[in-house]
Amino acid sequence: MERPLTVLRVSLHHPTPGPATFANVPPQLEHDTSPLLVGRGPDAHLRLQLPRLSRRHLSLEPYLEKGGARLAFNLKVLSRKGCVWVNGLTLRFLEQMPLSTVNRVAFSGMQMVVHIEGGTSLEAFVCCFQLSPSPLIYRLQAEETDEWEIIPQKQPPSGSGK
Amino acid sequence: MSSFEDADTEETVTCLQMTVYHPGHQQNGIFQSIRFFNREKLLSSEVVKFGRNSNTCHYMFRDKQVSRVQFSLQLFKKFDSSVLSFEIKNMSKKTNLIVDNKELGYLNKMDLPHKCLVRFGDYQFLMEKKDGESLEFFEIEFSLSTRPLLQENNWLPQKHIPECGSYSSCSTQNNSPIEMGENEW
Repeated sequence: MERPLTVLRVSLHHPTPGPATFANVPPQLEHDTSPLLVGRGPDAHLRLQLPRLSRRHLSLEPYLEKGGARLAFNLKVLSRKGCVWVNGLTLRFLEQMPLSTVNRVAFSGMQMVVHIEGGTSLEAFVCCFQLSPSPLIYRLQAEETDEWEIIPQKQPPSGSGK
Repeated sequence: MSSFEDADTEETVTCLQMTVYHPGHQQNGIFQSIRFFNREKLLSSEVVKFGRNSNTCHYMFRDKQVSRVQFSLQLFKKFDSSVLSFEIKNMSKKTNLIVDNKELGYLNKMDLPHKCLVRFGDYQFLMEKKDGESLEFFEIEFSLSTRPLLQENNWLPQKHIPECGSYSSCSTQNNSPIEMGENEW
């Protein structure tokens, strides 16, 4: 019997997207246990067309905690020039951190919220992508960002809570 | 000025020295694909795979008892460190990976100690990291041991793995190799 896959629900927002920014983002992507690459380049699994994004900007790598039964995920920065803001921390080249159940990630003007819904399959996981017209991350700590990550403050849409 | 004086300052490179041992390496040619005593330069962001599949693995062992991808190594940078560290991950569903006295199951990973003994099946790898300045590249260098590494370094397998999983020094009271059954790995 097939085991249910872990699902990463990924919401994406860019304040000024171009016509091609999200052109290569599928609604759903099934991936094996190798690292999932996010970037501008042709070998990126999640391809985002942004000029300030590195060809390989970051990776999401599945692994198992000792004694764990469900996949955990590690975010690692692969960009030499850019950095990645993750849950309040700014990560630079080759720095990494494990993801929580809900994660706020920002890089090159892009906002990404990742919800992890654990399944028991150890063969693969699936990403479900959703584009958000409104900002996902309303307040980044000033001391934890660099100038690339500042998101203009807008009035939050009614009914949202982030 | 000469090109020597004009050239960019060279950075030292992190090097992982791997000494390998397998009791049947001479008759079976399992290390045939490995270039010993050759420092191979790799990108620091590379995930280096070791196993039987030459299409996916950077270093291949010609042995049907080795998993297609047995384990992987990759570099990362700790927040409070200026040097790079290695992380090892078991990619085999069938065989556990033993790093000193810690046992890694499928997809388990851990920081690679500065110097450690990695084992699976009859394979023994003594891995030692030499720090370097470069964040761009690193090197791997293989050497071959004709004698068991377990005996050489007094690494003794301990059946009891501490619950906290923390590394502790191994006993050196018994210096002779311990016979292990096939099912004890």
